Formats: sequence, C-alpha cells, structure tokens
Amino acid sequence: MVTFPGRYEASGSPGAEVPALPTRALIWVIASFALLLAPQWDRLPVWLIASCVALAGWRWLAQSGRVRLPGKWMRTAIMLGVIAIYVATVQGRFTVDTAASFFVLAVGLKWLETRSTRDFYVLFFILVYLATVNFLFHQEIHWAALNLLAVGLLLVGLQTLNAPDLPESMRSGWRRLGMMLLKTLPIVVLLFVFFPRVAPLWSVPLVSGEARSGISDTMRPGDISNLAQSSERAFRATFGGELPEYRDRYWRGLILDFLDGETWRQGRGEPFRRPGRVSVDGGVGDLAPGQYDVLMEPTDERWAFVLEDSVAVSNNVVLSDEGLFRFRRPADTTVRYRMELQGGDSDNAVAGDPRTLRRYLQLPRSGNPRARALAEEMKADNPAPGALVEALMSRFRQQAYYYTLRPPAMPEDGIDALLFDEKRGFCAHYAGATTFLLRAAGIPARVVVGYQGGDPGAGNEYLVVRQYDAHAWVEAWIEGEGWVRVDPTAAIAPDRIESGLRDAVAEEGSFLENDWASPQRYGNMAMLQWASLQLDRINYQWQRWVVGYQGQSQMDLMSRLPGGFGLKELGYATAGIVGFALLVAGGFSSWQMRRSTSRDPVMRLIRRWHRLCDRAGIPVRYGETPAQLAERIGSARPQAGGAARAFARMVNKHYYGNEARADQRQSREKMGRLLITMRKQMSRDTSESRETATHRH
Amino acid sequence: MFQALRLRWRRWVNRRIPRADKQVFSQRNIFILPTGPGVVFGLLLLVMLITGINYQNSLIYLLTFMLGAILVAAMHQTHRNLAGLELTLVQAGEGFVGDRIPFRFRAVSGRHDAVAISLSFDEHTLSQQHVPAGQAGDLVLSAQSPQRGYFRPDRVRVETRFPFGLLKAWSWVRPASFGIAYPRPVPAPEAMSSVSDGDDQETARAIDGNDHADMRPWREGDLAQRVLWKRYARTGQMVIADWEGEQGSPHWIDYHAFPGVDQELRLSYLTSLVLERGQAGTPFGLNLPGQVIDPDAGPAHVNRCLKSLAVFGLEKPRDNSTSAFGTRAQTAGPTVIREGG
Repeated sequence: MVTFPGRYEASGSPGAEVPALPTRALIWVIASFALLLAPQWDRLPVWLIASCVALAGWRWLAQSGRVRLPGKWMRTAIMLGVIAIYVATVQGRFTVDTAASFFVLAVGLKWLETRSTRDFYVLFFILVYLATVNFLFHQEIHWAALNLLAVGLLLVGLQTLNAPDLPESMRSGWRRLGMMLLKTLPIVVLLFVFFPRVAPLWSVPLVSGEARSGISDTMRPGDISNLAQSSERAFRATFGGELPEYRDRYWRGLILDFLDGETWRQGRGEPFRRPGRVSVDGGVGDLAPGQYDVLMEPTDERWAFVLEDSVAVSNNVVLSDEGLFRFRRPADTTVRYRMELQGGDSDNAVAGDPRTLRRYLQLPRSGNPRARALAEEMKADNPAPGALVEALMSRFRQQAYYYTLRPPAMPEDGIDALLFDEKRGFCAHYAGATTFLLRAAGIPARVVVGYQGGDPGAGNEYLVVRQYDAHAWVEAWIEGEGWVRVDPTAAIAPDRIESGLRDAVAEEGSFLENDWASPQRYGNMAMLQWASLQLDRINYQWQRWVVGYQGQSQMDLMSRLPGGFGLKELGYATAGIVGFALLVAGGFSSWQMRRSTSRDPVMRLIRRWHRLCDRAGIPVRYGETPAQLAERIGSARPQAGGAARAFARMVNKHYYGNEARADQRQSREKMGRLLITMRKQMSRDTSESRETATHRH
Repeated sequence: MFQALRLRWRRWVNRRIPRADKQVFSQRNIFILPTGPGVVFGLLLLVMLITGINYQNSLIYLLTFMLGAILVAAMHQTHRNLAGLELTLVQAGEGFVGDRIPFRFRAVSGRHDAVAISLSFDEHTLSQQHVPAGQAGDLVLSAQSPQRGYFRPDRVRVETRFPFGLLKAWSWVRPASFGIAYPRPVPAPEAMSSVSDGDDQETARAIDGNDHADMRPWREGDLAQRVLWKRYARTGQMVIADWEGEQGSPHWIDYHAFPGVDQELRLSYLTSLVLERGQAGTPFGLNLPGQVIDPDAGPAHVNRCLKSLAVFGLEKPRDNSTSAFGTRAQTAGPTVIREGG
C-alpha cells in the first residue's frame, strides 16, 4: 500500500457529530402527525389546527432548505404567542378537551425544535401518546385503523432515521414492520384476551366540553326539529326476541314537567353531577327473550333510553322515581346496558300521590289565552279525563294540522298561534301544546323526550336509532290507569310513528336537507344504503367485542373457558403468556442461528472442519484454500494430514469438478466420516504431544 | 469497587471474544440492551397501560400490547442484524502518528441482512454500513495512534441500532494483527541536513565505509572511475559501486547525523527526510543503528524505510493467548492428558 501523507481514504467521521435528520424520516412523521390530527378536527379550535399545519409546514420547508428554522428569540415569541391565544380561548376551563388541545399545541411547537435525533425521538413519543389520546375520543373501527396506521408510519419513520441510506427503505420498512406484527399477532391477541381488566387505579372523569348533538334537558318549540337534521347514531339496540313493532318503539329518555314561558324544563333539575366514569359493565351472557341490549353513544348525560315498561337487568342503570332510568355517572363513553320488557302493568301506576301530581299541573300565570279557553271548553264537554284526551286527539286528527320540519316562527303566544292560526309544527310543538291544554283542563300531564323508531341494521341483528328519530310526546295521568302515553304526532302524522321521519316528511322533501354527506339521506340508493349498513354492522361488532371487552365481558368469557379464571389467575396467565412468548422467540432464534450457517450441506461440512481446526489450535486463515489448510494440518498434526488432504480434495471436486448429482450424497457421507477420523487423529496427536511434554518435565 | 467490576466484566468479555482477526458473531458474544430512547419507550408503554386501565379503554390496551410486542420483535431483529455476521481484519493500515490509520475489515453477513452496522474504536467511528444477506462488504475504520510503532485498535466495537433505535446490539472484534504508525515527520534542521546531503563529499559518507552502495561485478562499459580500486587491491575483484542516479551519488539519511538529539525527535527528523526524498524521487539510503537500507527509490522503498523507522527499537508485542481459541484448548487439554496417562 502506498503511504504518502494525505493519500489514504478517510472513511470515518471524527467524534459524535449530530447528523442532520433524514428527509425521508421526517416526511413519515409529518404524515403521521397529519393523520393523528384528523380524528381531532371537530374537537380542536380551527386556529389550533391551522397553526399546527403551519408549524409542520415550516419544518418541512426548512428541511428542503427553502426557509430557515426560527432562532431562539423568534421561537420563544411564537411559543408565547400561540400559548397566549390558547389561554385566551380556553378561559380557565379544564376539560379533557382543553388538555388534549394543549397536547396537540405542544406537538405543533415541537416541530420548530426538531433538529437532532433526540428531538425526533421526543416527537415520536409524543405522537404515540397522541394516538393513545385519540382512542379516548374515537373508538370506531375506521378511526382505530387510522390511528394504527399513523403509529405504523412513525415506526417506518424510525427505521428510516436509523438507516437513512438503506435502499428501498419504504417498502422494506413496511415489510419488516408487517412481519413483526404478523409474528407477534398471536401474543397480542392472547394478551388482549387474558390481560386482567382491573378496576381503574384512580378515577379520572373524561369530561368533554364538546357540545354533543342529542336531546337536551330543555325543550323550546324549535329544538327537536334541529336535531332531526342530524343522522348521527344515538344508540343501537339488540333484542333477544322479536323486534317490537315500529309504532311501539318509544324510547323514553327524560321528562320535562316545568313550563317556563316558552321553554319546557325538568322541574327538579339534574342532581349534582358527581365526577367519575360511567360504569360500562352492561351485563353478560346471551339475551333472553324479552331482553334487549342498548349500546349508547356518549351523551355526557346520565339518562338512559329505554322502551316503555322495561326493568333494568344490568346494574349500571338505576330507576328514578319518575320511572326513568339513569346512569350513576354521566355517559362519557360508549356504554352498554341491558333491559327487559315487562308486559302489562308497570310501576307507573302506583305514583298516585296528589302532592306529586300537583307538579304536573304547573302552568305560567298568563299567556296563550285562547288555548286556556279551549281547554275550559273541552273540559266542560268531556268531564272524564280519558274522554277529553280522546277529544283532543280527534281534533288533531280532523282539523288541518300539518307535521313539518319547516314550521313558521311563532314568537307571541306560540301555543295559541300553533293551535288556531298556523297549524303547522313539529313534534315538540304539538307535545308542548297538548301538555298545556291538558294541564289547563286540570289533567296532570308531562312532556316526555326521547326517541321514537329505529331502523334495522344490516342482517336485522339490531336496531339503529339516530338523532333524527328524536321525538317528544305526552304522558297524561288518568285516574285508575296511571300515566298514559298521548302522542299528538301519531294523530297528525301517522307515518312518523308507523315508519319514521323520512316517510312523514317525504312530500316536503326536507329530510336531512342540510346533511348532504349522510348516507341516510340517500335512502333510495340501495348500494350506498347497503354499504353504510355493513359499515355500521362491522362497527357494532367491533364495539361489542373489541372496544367493549372490559371487566364483566372478560369475566364472562373466562367463565365459559374451563378452569374458572379469576383476576388473579388472569394475571398469572398473562405473565405465563409473556414468559412463554419470550421463550419461544428465543428458542426460535437460536434454532435459526444454528441453521443460519448455510443451506449448502457441503458448506456446513466445511464449517465443521474449520471449527475442528480452530479447536485443535490451527486457526483458519483468511482466504486460505482447503488444500492449503490441509497442508498446514498435515505439518502440524501429521497423523491427521491424510484425512485432511482427502477432505480438501473432495471439497474441490464438489465445487470445481464434475461430480454427478447422484454421487453427491454418498460423497457427503464420506466427508462426514473423514471429519470424524480427522477429529480422532487430531486428538490423538495432541494427547501424544502433551504426553511427551509432561514426561519430559 | 467499580473499577474491579469493570475489570471483571472486561475479562469475562475477553474470554468470550478471543483475540483474532476474524470474529463470527453469535448468541455467544452479542450483547443487547435498550438505548436511552428505548428506556423512555418502556416508560411510555407503562404510562399508556395505566391510561388504558384508568379509562378502561380496550383500544389503548391493544395499542400498548402491539407496541410492546413490536419492541420484543425489534429485539430479535436487532440481534439478527449482527448474528451470523463475520468480520475479518483483512488489512491493518499504516500511517503517521497523529494521522488516521485505516484498518480494513471485510464483513460477510450470514443468512440475514446486516443492516446499519457501525464500527467504532474509542472515539473513532465508522458511520453505518449495510451488508445484504450472504454478501460481503469492506468497512474501513480509521484510528489515530498515540505513538509510533506497532498499533492496533484493541477492541473494535460493532454496533447496530436498527430498526428502531430503541435497542442496541453490540459486540467486539479484538484484532490480532498490527498496523504500523510511522513517526510524526518533523522538518530536520538545515545545517544538519547539509551534512547528510553532502553530494560528493566522500568524507561524509565514509563513516560506515563504502559497502552501503549497490555493488555489482564489473561489466563492459563501466567507467574506470567507478571501480572500487581499494577493494580490487584487497580482494582482486573488479567491483563497481552503482549509484544509479546520474548525479552519481545517493543521499544517505543517517541516524547519527543528529548527535545529541532525543531518539524520538531524531526519528521524526529522519522520517521527514525520507518523505522529502521520496517526493523528490531521488534515490537514498537509510542508516539506522543495527539496520541499513541500501539506496533505492520508489514508493516501496519509501515504505520500507518508514516501517523501519516506525518500529526502530521496538519489539512486536506478544499476546498472552496466542491461540485463537485459548479457552477451549485449555479446558480440553487436561482431560486429554488424563486419558493419555
């Protein structure tokens, strides 16, 4: 080698200089960030998303050298500015939402600081946790897939970071990741099934400041018609036996018994909301006939929607004294509960206490004089409450009342205007007016808010009840019969009760007129409808078996397995699975190692030969041919020389001669025998030489 | 205490990794531990698990288990990057003290790709290389020698953090071969160089007699002035002193030309002179106590001179265990003797 100064290669780099981040690694992380923001889009304020996009974009432009990353002062200024906006918009509210948005903000700011490998890892950790946080808010299968995809992108990005110049890094990265996932899938599944679902270590309420669409605890005449524009799912119900008739699907939610001017409210208000998580143990096992499961979307309220004449089976819902069912904590997550239908008499009839009933006669002191007069008149005509209710319904049926999603504004004495002038309204209008009339006539009455209807999901396995099924109706106290359902809408628009809102407003064409993206709007497109139902079905099963696999459902599954696993046993099982998996993996890799020498059997023999030589103190030199090695063996261990030379000849013949395929197996066997001879002779050589050495001493 | 543990650890490692130019990595000698980010990732998984428990969120459980399983799979992948890899020191480099001396290793990977392998020795690192399965690649690690003479990196660390950088697998090669570090060239003082440069002053060269020149029998056409008549008078043979160069006389670079100068500095002077001559392309000889290199020119000659200067007065260090597989030979030895006795 020529050794003049400055001529030889300098391949190493001195010291531990921080490498610039590889562009291709960065792009994966930015893509992952974008994906992880997507589930948050309706939760985060617009300015926050915009600034996150801007900051990530800045980082990206800086990577391609078009702009420079901000200096220290600039960075501090940006940080303070964004945090100031955040503080101003949050205004001291602390909810999981604001915490999550602060988290997103931190990620966004981190972009400007991502210079070194270490920053990259910090970003990786934050984004993985962001994916975790996303799971708190969205558990549908498509959001879950999106989240997992984002985590996958991060892992591919990490691979690129660690081997930036690897050719085809993207394809091989995904393939490697896929193989890892595939190999570990059984363990993940076992862990998921067996990991003990212990109770929360400490309770953290998942209070969300988000306004959820759904019914509320006050009702102004226009309220429910707004809700009717939404096709979001309210809940799904699975029945053990036959589905109830459409007209009987009255899902009671809450009772509004206090009329405050135009607005119906709950007379007693909601009790203090205790912090804590809603219990999601919604009963286990197969549904008996007459039982049904409700899988309710989060409402952040305590009320549960149940059919009339139901009793609770699962104990995460309790009966209130108004005959309604309540969770103990607000439903901040998807929650399942189980009810049972009871034919005939229910507890409703018992609550005949006059003092209680007086609440249901409350009316404002003044207003709607014509309605009051009508009530007096009807009461004079029909002294019996039952007859009066009947008369009122026939009035609705016979006169030209219209059921519409586009009611006119009725600002002054709305009930009078509805009943006598406009005669156009939605269920909330008619329910309010009916209750007003009944109360004015001295019959205790109350507005019930909930849902009416529900369409079968794919395969008729369950009912899907959507927000547009929201409904308001009336219950009147009839002496001797208890609370009786009175639904003016059924009299005015029987279609609404028989087959749903779509048919009821078909003529008007106002069904979901503002919700152009909803598949439900395009009910006539069979294909779209089918796809939407299938997606819902997949999500339903996902919700039931994966997302809802908690506490009792785990115990239920375990009780079906032999062995009667409790929490403790599950803990052992988990430890066992992990240990076993590690053992299998270790064993597999060592087995692979043993195999890894070569697939070529002759090469394996050569390796054995080399090991033999190494052990005998004749280290194999680099680039030595078999014949040369054999010669050296011959000179070091004369007795083994013959076998060694024969072995070397056979190796050469195998690789360079024209050995017939049929003979190969035979010659391999012979080579193996030669190796054994060599070993024996080598050890004899050594022992003899040692012997002479010891004798000499 | 800590020092003692370190020593023990080092001895234990050295037992597993014998001194040899060739090293095959396997479970026997690959070490694997989480990196800093790996530890943080472990903590993150714990936090995620607690989040999952507290919010009773099955999907968080699922994500946690998946990431945990991937961490274990990554452990195998990282291990596999090194496993089966065969690393051989094929060329120990030569260079000057203070310069970076290249050591060329050949890496032959086993059944799996060896991805993102990096070599390091002390603070010298070679950035990562990839060796696809069943192929070979050359890795050149450069290192600085603190002093002239025989030099080798004592333990070359082979490391990989692929795929995720959450775990690192490493091992060592302990090369047996030596590279050579030449003395650092220091320009020789002018006055002194004129003494050794003396072109036609016979006296300057007379110190060690005439036998330093290339001598060959007389053949037809040689000038009469070239014949060493003194030798002819003594032995009766016509011998020609062949100086090769047309100028007639070679340059002698002489150890004794710098009386009173410290040995290392003196060697540095000589090195500088050798380089000067080598670059000029003029022939020269090197005269060291106990070793004389006859005048010649060309890179090979320069190299030979530099090597002699580098190892002047030094002996090749010997390893304690010359046998590459010392441990096994030692354990196997006594049993064989017992059989023989």
